[in-house]
Amino acid sequence: MMYGTKAIQLVKEIANGEKGQLTPFSSDVFSEVIAECSQHFADLRSLIRKMQEAGLDVETTKDEDHYGQLIHHLSLVRNKRCLMAYMYNRAEILRNLVWNVGSDIPEEIQEKLSHSEKEYFKKHSEALKSYMSRVVLELAVDMVPPKDPYIKVRVLDDMGEVELPSDNTANFARHSMHFLKRTDAEKYISLGKMEELTG
Amino acid sequence: MASASDLGSTDDYEALMSMTDVELLKSAWRQEKAAPEILQFESRLIKRVREQIQLMEETVEEFTESGFDPLTVSLYQMDLDRTQFLLRSYLRIRLQKIEKYMFHIFATAELLTRLSKEEKWFIERCCVDLQTHLEKSVLSQLPYTYQSIFQQSVINDETDMVAKPQLDTFVVCKTKYYLGHIQLEDNADGEPDGSSPYDSGSQKPLEEPFEMEPNVLYFVRYKAVKKFVEEGKIDLY
Repeated sequence: MMYGTKAIQLVKEIANGEKGQLTPFSSDVFSEVIAECSQHFADLRSLIRKMQEAGLDVETTKDEDHYGQLIHHLSLVRNKRCLMAYMYNRAEILRNLVWNVGSDIPEEIQEKLSHSEKEYFKKHSEALKSYMSRVVLELAVDMVPPKDPYIKVRVLDDMGEVELPSDNTANFARHSMHFLKRTDAEKYISLGKMEELTG
Repeated sequence: MASASDLGSTDDYEALMSMTDVELLKSAWRQEKAAPEILQFESRLIKRVREQIQLMEETVEEFTESGFDPLTVSLYQMDLDRTQFLLRSYLRIRLQKIEKYMFHIFATAELLTRLSKEEKWFIERCCVDLQTHLEKSVLSQLPYTYQSIFQQSVINDETDMVAKPQLDTFVVCKTKYYLGHIQLEDNADGEPDGSSPYDSGSQKPLEEPFEMEPNVLYFVRYKAVKKFVEEGKIDLY
């Protein structure tokens, strides 16, 4: 088998995926690439040992074993880059998710994450929340420039009596229509519980 | 922002003084939005804006309670909302840049000093959390000479795995001053970008130094005008 073909699958998964959308964590391919790395390292070391046993200077000898080592080293580094690119880009999607849907991620996304990713998501959204409480400002609202302070919305999900940030309460029964402050409605719209009525 | 001393003339000084804080915030917001790297945090401006927002909120509340004309109140409210948006968006753009280039900013003293106190706290948390995550899921499972988060292996001695902003991206900009001797292309620090084999001719420094006339819109690489942006002499759009 050609070296590095597994690792490229991971990168392709990111590259071909819809922007900002997570695919299920490819734990099988991932651990296969990790195993491949260990194998490269073992091969690399056994080549070094072979040269040492033959009394050759590992630093200066340019024989076939030297180039063999180089291939193992470069394959390992390439695999590492692919693994890291995979995790790093997924982490970036996760961070954007914190901005777009907040700290409660829906079940169908939870299922796509590795254990460490779930933890990272939790930690990062805590960090962001903590920053906001330090600056005493909620930053997850007002995502688009305001046109009108009030908007017309229709409730899509029955929520009952709800207390709004502007200290009012409203009864959000399903399909009911309301004229709300945009800042009050924004959260529900991004969660898909309300839609803005335009025109 | 520029202090009074480094402004060209008293006209400019007066022009600056006549700008409201909200206008200044808008300009800072626009700069931050257009610049590929993180800029100096406008701490004094933000402090003033926040005080003004609070004042406006109180005014709107007062008006509402005392049964003021609803139209007038809603105009005040709209103005308040716009300022709030600018403030939030400004902080948000900065946080998103921090998230994107956390390791690079954290390791570069010059960039780190540009952050606010809260941002510094945030970036530290960000770096620790992401590093922990990457170490746990990838690095700890690799052979020990390949476990660095910043380098590909121990043989590579530069930090070749850290995401950095692309400073040679193009920006739209304008200046109020006459600026001469702008170096447009330099391969002195040899940014090895992929396009170089094909247009190596245009990569050479231009014979004529580039000049910027006041109030003309230019489309140039950020790197070339970076210094002026930081000095507040060029506005990005």
